[in-house]
Amino acid sequence: MKALLIDDERLARNELRRLLAAFPSITIVGEAANAKKAREQIDALKPDLLFLDVQMPGETGMALLESLEPPAPHVIFTTAFDEFAVKAFELNVLDYLLKPVDPARLASAVERLQEKVGAAAESDEKPARLGAEDKVFVREGDHCWFVEIKKIRLLESEGNYTRLHFDDVRPQLFRSLNAMEARLDPKFFFRANRRQIINLTWIEKIEPWFSGGLLVQLKGGAKVELSRRQAQEFRDKMSL
Amino acid sequence: MPNLMETLSPNSPQREKLYVLAQCAGWGGFTLAYFGLNQLARSTSVAETSIFIASNLVGLLLSHGYRSWIHRRGWKDLGWTALLPRVLVGTLVLGILWTLLTWPLYLYFGDPHIGKKVTKTVIFIFSVFNGIWIYGFWSLLYFGYHMASRFRRSELERVQLKATVKEAELRALKSQVNPHFIFNALNSMRALIDEDPARARQAVTQLANLLRYSLQSGQLETVPFEDELRIVKDYLALEQVRHEERLKLHLDIDPDTLHLPIPPMLLQTLVENGVKYGISERPDGGEIVITARRSGDGMNLQVTNSGELHAAADRPTPSEIGSTGVGLQNAAQRLRLLFGEKATLSLSQGAPGVVVAEANIPRLLTRTPVPVDES
Repeated sequence: MKALLIDDERLARNELRRLLAAFPSITIVGEAANAKKAREQIDALKPDLLFLDVQMPGETGMALLESLEPPAPHVIFTTAFDEFAVKAFELNVLDYLLKPVDPARLASAVERLQEKVGAAAESDEKPARLGAEDKVFVREGDHCWFVEIKKIRLLESEGNYTRLHFDDVRPQLFRSLNAMEARLDPKFFFRANRRQIINLTWIEKIEPWFSGGLLVQLKGGAKVELSRRQAQEFRDKMSL
Repeated sequence: MPNLMETLSPNSPQREKLYVLAQCAGWGGFTLAYFGLNQLARSTSVAETSIFIASNLVGLLLSHGYRSWIHRRGWKDLGWTALLPRVLVGTLVLGILWTLLTWPLYLYFGDPHIGKKVTKTVIFIFSVFNGIWIYGFWSLLYFGYHMASRFRRSELERVQLKATVKEAELRALKSQVNPHFIFNALNSMRALIDEDPARARQAVTQLANLLRYSLQSGQLETVPFEDELRIVKDYLALEQVRHEERLKLHLDIDPDTLHLPIPPMLLQTLVENGVKYGISERPDGGEIVITARRSGDGMNLQVTNSGELHAAADRPTPSEIGSTGVGLQNAAQRLRLLFGEKATLSLSQGAPGVVVAEANIPRLLTRTPVPVDES
């Protein structure tokens, strides 16, 4: 697994590097001292895993993560002492390590990660489309989520942002609906209208609607209207 | 404590009730006791009984009037020395007034004593003295009660003030050791143990010095500036281990200021604030400048850091560790508590790109804390 170390302190990065030497499955491909450098490194090196310091000059680790093109890489957060961040991690079941890092805790975090990754990915190629198991990082207030694509029922355009509907929450993603559409797998996602994309696996009921359109009801209650043109496209697609 | 304060506050219904009760019990008791004693000695006539009751009623009303006079003139807030002569004169005046008011009754109904063995003048004087000791006793009870309750109230206020000061100290103490800094420093040291063992050992000593100082100084009101400066240097050395070339440092200290007293952790708070906004949050770091100068009997202390003031203030701070606003407020409060109103602490934009924290510390005049203004 390719890992990138992101921390503003050189000594902290060195320390983590020394600790990670004990894990042959993890290869450190690079280091970054701030969010800006990290973004460049992520684009260039395509790491699978980030060790990410929460408090960094300029831009926090959370903000960096939010700005990344999905799918989100695996992340293990690091922090020295930050009650707020730790509360957020525990609330959202995110992996984190407290500095100075306890080697035993690092071992269990790496182990947990490897279980999660499992046999799923051994291909180095990043597909152009997001897979059902791929994750998107979203944050709203104190809450953040690594949401699996297959769990998203509905995506709604809100200006340059997109509101994601999954579980019982609907946080906003800092990315346009068009940008998301380009990345989503058309096998599962359908552009219902100018403002909405629906996940076909979450459809509960379909009713005929005015002037040849359709009304699609999703599990969880949301109702989405399809115009005649889109309804035709939808019928073609579904009958295949 | 609100209940206690309520019962003690002037003009509360409870206090009014107590006053009425005390008046009735006092005058009623006095009347009954007189009759009780006289009954044993000799029988009393209807006229004598009526006069006595009537004159005591006049006495009661007079004392009630006296009370509103006391209220109006604010005698209850006077000290012993100011109160005593006023009460003595007041008692004399009341004794005379009472006698004058009741005199017609005696003349009209005829005092049983008059004309037998003594003259009217003697009776008059006797009556005045009678009034004086009754009102004297009345004043003793009345002012005694108020003095006692005032003492209790001031005692309560003193305790509350002490608690407030203590609380401020505790809050300040809490913000003294920034845990985020400590754990980052420990993390750096862990890395240094392999890379530069000598520097690692030095860093352990510096962190120990800082922790010891911040724990001990909580019990001190002031420390010599020299001591504080030494610890700030240790702190900055540790920050330099973390931030390396991102933290530049310049000290400009007038040797004449080294012996002057300052509140412990004052400079430390200012410098920590400077490092937080001037170094930690800026990708390229910046410079910290500490300047200490004599000014009059006291000193002028400046800590500047790179950055913009409003940028720091507007920054959303959900994940902030020890909110600096609180740290500076505590420092300002401690400074005022110890050095009085002349002591100032301010944060301002200096030259473009430079934020200045400035403390003016006058000569230490008193060791008694000045009451905290709650607003």
